[in-house]
Amino acid sequence: MSRVGFANVTKRFGDSVAVDDLTLEVADREFMVLLGPSGCGKTTALRMIAGLESITSGDLTIGDTRVNDLAASDRDIAMVFQSYALYPHMTVRKNIESPLVARKAGRLGAAERATRVSEAAEVLGLTELLNRKPGALSGGQRQRVALARSIVRRPEVFLMDEPLSNLDAKLRTQTRLELVELWRRLETTFIYVTHDQVEAMTMGSQIAVMTNGKLQQVGAPQAVYERPANLFVASFIGSPPMNLLEGVLETTNSVAVNGGRIGVANAVAETSARAVTIGVRPEHLQIGGTDVSATVISVELLGHERHVICQVGPARWVIRQASNDTSLTVGESVMLGIDPAQVHVFDSATTERLN
Amino acid sequence: MAVVTRSRKLKEAVLGYTLLAPLLIVFAVFAYYPFYRIIQFALFQKFTNSDDTEFVGTKGIWDVLSGDEFRSGLWITVKFMLYTVPAGLIIGVLLATAAHRQLRGIKIYQTIFSSTVASSVAVSSVVFLTLVNRQAGYFQNVSWLDLGTPGGAMRGVALSSVWQNVGLTFIIVLAGMQAIPEEINEAATLDGYRPVRRFLRITVPMISPTLLFLAVILVVQSLQAYAQIEILTSGGPQRSTETLLFKITQLQGRTDLQTGASMALGLFVLTLAVSVGQFLMLNRRVHYDN
Repeated sequence: MSRVGFANVTKRFGDSVAVDDLTLEVADREFMVLLGPSGCGKTTALRMIAGLESITSGDLTIGDTRVNDLAASDRDIAMVFQSYALYPHMTVRKNIESPLVARKAGRLGAAERATRVSEAAEVLGLTELLNRKPGALSGGQRQRVALARSIVRRPEVFLMDEPLSNLDAKLRTQTRLELVELWRRLETTFIYVTHDQVEAMTMGSQIAVMTNGKLQQVGAPQAVYERPANLFVASFIGSPPMNLLEGVLETTNSVAVNGGRIGVANAVAETSARAVTIGVRPEHLQIGGTDVSATVISVELLGHERHVICQVGPARWVIRQASNDTSLTVGESVMLGIDPAQVHVFDSATTERLN
Repeated sequence: MAVVTRSRKLKEAVLGYTLLAPLLIVFAVFAYYPFYRIIQFALFQKFTNSDDTEFVGTKGIWDVLSGDEFRSGLWITVKFMLYTVPAGLIIGVLLATAAHRQLRGIKIYQTIFSSTVASSVAVSSVVFLTLVNRQAGYFQNVSWLDLGTPGGAMRGVALSSVWQNVGLTFIIVLAGMQAIPEEINEAATLDGYRPVRRFLRITVPMISPTLLFLAVILVVQSLQAYAQIEILTSGGPQRSTETLLFKITQLQGRTDLQTGASMALGLFVLTLAVSVGQFLMLNRRVHYDN
């Protein structure tokens, strides 16, 4: 059992609160991604699981054990650091073997250790590099050594702190896939910290979005994308981000905005006329409709698609289109059509989702 | 074009050597010329009350270096080295380990530990002498520090040297430890290393360049120790703390320049050999980060 649970966990550094009353369940064999901007508390949360940070209040459990007071070296956990944290004086082989020899008690025999090391090296394609030192490896290779070191002792939980951020874009995409494959193969729990929403969307079986030390939303990536719980999640997840516009709630199914009215298919529970913010994803907008008027500011060609940037009232919106769509000129006035089923409504004051 | 380049090169060379000249002059006056004179003294035996000299050659040098006087000085020097260098390294590492943590007020301890750097050998030797004084010193009843006995004298001189070096060793080792990224220590903790094992398997190898540097410094310092011996024991009792360097200083200014100069050459070769040997031996085991 490698379930990890936070129950009302808070971490303070002096007067500042890094993690604020976090309650989060990571199920066994989950690939949980903690996602948020820098300083949101995701790394602190991860380090508390590792035992590298003490817990100010609340309970942290791994499996069925409360681990608040269990030393880091006694938790069955492996962590991959952003800097990889390889031991520069040891060869790749010794680095990978390190968790197996760290303790005298219960140490495996030399033959068994050698088998484990070569298995881990095999999985990560390091067999040829076993006798080199980290200084003689590329960034990608070092990253693999760090991963091999973490899988060699078959821990209950894997923790990863932005392990891809030091790799170039191409290698990052490739390693992303490999990490997911590794997770499937090992059938164990991964907890992965990143600020990159693409990593979160593509790798996580669940994502937990955080900001300012507070958990915003937990769910499957697609569910979070489709129904963001509040304005922060709505604007943080998605690239290009969700288009937002201030308006006033008229009925449970319509919002009045600057120069138009937007229909909402999923009825809003509230009926009072209040300030709301509507959100529409770039792919749910089309040029040629009857909902809101807009002015074309720019067209970005990306090859497989294009992004049309428009001024809509006080806001700038992005519309995602096929690259062979009818050509547009900058400055042109257009009408936009919005699918009412894809309109998100948020309370402008509380930022919470209303529909 | 070629002419321009050549004249520019010449200009740069002239500038370079001009800037180096002051240092070369200092070296020439205070290092190379005395060294040349020592070789000269060692090769010629000067007669008492006369300006005449007799060429004794390398045989004369060898006679001194294989004599009892040199041998006893060498043994005392080695003993002094064995007393001071490992102890200095170990104490430096222990203090640095104690002070290398995030605690409130830790800077105060770091300052206290490193403060002996600022005191001169003469001053701290006098303080030490007062501490072990048999009539009034704080350690007057500590028998193993009795400077009146040969063993106590050696221990006293060695202890005061270690004490004087504590600040230096502490600062250097602490700097070496602080250069280890925190994530490496954290990774080691998560790998399951307990503090002592982590220290031996991770910290020590990673600060080994620092320890090598320190070992060389301490060895050379032990070979060159003079003031603390002069102040604490004057080489006694029964010449039991007469290191090579101390013997050489005792012989200079007397009539027997040839003996002193030959011993100085012996000490020079010894220092050189120890330094080169340490680098060759430890270089293979030391990790230099790239």
